[in-house]
Amino acid sequence: MLNAQITAALLGVALAGAIFFLVRRDHLHGPFAAWWLMVAAATLALGMFPSLVIWLGRLTGINYAPVLPIIIGLSMVLLRLLKLDIDRSRQERQMRRLTQKLAILEQELDQLRGRATREPVDSED
Amino acid sequence: MQTMDAPPADNSHAIGRLNSKHPLTSLQADAENRGPLLPIETALTLLAPAECLAVIPARDEVATVAAVVAGVRASLGCRVLLVDDASTDGTSTAAREAGADVLILPIGLGAWGASQAGIRYAERNGFRGVITLDADGQHLPESLPLLLEAQARTGANVVIGTCIERLSVPKRIAWQYLRLLTGLRLRDFTSGLRLYDVSAVRMLAAPEASLLDYQDVGVLMLLSKKGLRIVETPTLMRERTNGHSRVFASWAVVARYMFNTTILCISRLDLGRRGATSSGAER
Repeated sequence: MLNAQITAALLGVALAGAIFFLVRRDHLHGPFAAWWLMVAAATLALGMFPSLVIWLGRLTGINYAPVLPIIIGLSMVLLRLLKLDIDRSRQERQMRRLTQKLAILEQELDQLRGRATREPVDSED
Repeated sequence: MQTMDAPPADNSHAIGRLNSKHPLTSLQADAENRGPLLPIETALTLLAPAECLAVIPARDEVATVAAVVAGVRASLGCRVLLVDDASTDGTSTAAREAGADVLILPIGLGAWGASQAGIRYAERNGFRGVITLDADGQHLPESLPLLLEAQARTGANVVIGTCIERLSVPKRIAWQYLRLLTGLRLRDFTSGLRLYDVSAVRMLAAPEASLLDYQDVGVLMLLSKKGLRIVETPTLMRERTNGHSRVFASWAVVARYMFNTTILCISRLDLGRRGATSSGAER
């Protein structure tokens, strides 16, 4: 029993430590940092005080308390994935429009350059 | 450089008025619309070929692109813009030599993304209409004036060039399904041979249309939801000389396409308008 607790605590501490490290090294930016810091805090708390889980289970009426962190974790992952896809859609739109604008500007630049070098070549019409 | 600096946008109000009076999307087959369906101000929306930009989206079509560009120039005399969707075979060079202006997309965006780039270019440079056609030679350049004629006759905002004979049985079934789902009474949803007028160009250039993956159902639903009129006109088409339909390539692709389109339709469905397609009562 104690062994399992130590394992859980170690995992929590390791995850929290890794996240703190990444945030401090500026690998995770802004709102992501806040989210992951919360995750780190939660794993740390649950790892250090397993009795929290039992207390939470009693509070929510779930008989088999150990399943609770799994449920919470999974729903958080789902929420996070949903948010990720929303962001990805937005970025896809921006990327497409930027690509189009880049091509348009490049064409116009070429045209202006062409006009500047070989003055009036327009003979048609 | 001829038409570039002449954006006669002065009758955009008339177009807006016209649309608010006729917000229905109705398929008007060629025979049944001789009558005076529209008020006189329709005349203001008529398009001259020189005010139009022909947009040709192309990916790896070096074999046919030069002939298509030359054909369009001969048939309409308008400016031709080839949008090179990240080709690797020199499509853009061939098109430039044939006399087209060329946009080169550094990242492949698909047929609709490429067309939209051309539409944005047209909006930016003050063109009053956009004609799109495929680069694989299946749309005959000689049929382009038919689109302008149909537009002049019906005053519609969008004209789709349809080749009925081309439709195979599975396609017919698929289109019947899409007609039911969307409430759009069109015969061919995927035809890339189209004429968009200035108000359609403005709507399609907007960010709203940038996440669409195909030029078909999503684009048409967007336009009809905004109250634009879409008509079809029969045209002749050639069998694809090379290449193949991007949509109807294999059963797996078709299944995925139909599934995605269904989702798109459901998410865009406007029940109020759907019931009122015949009376055109919207807002």
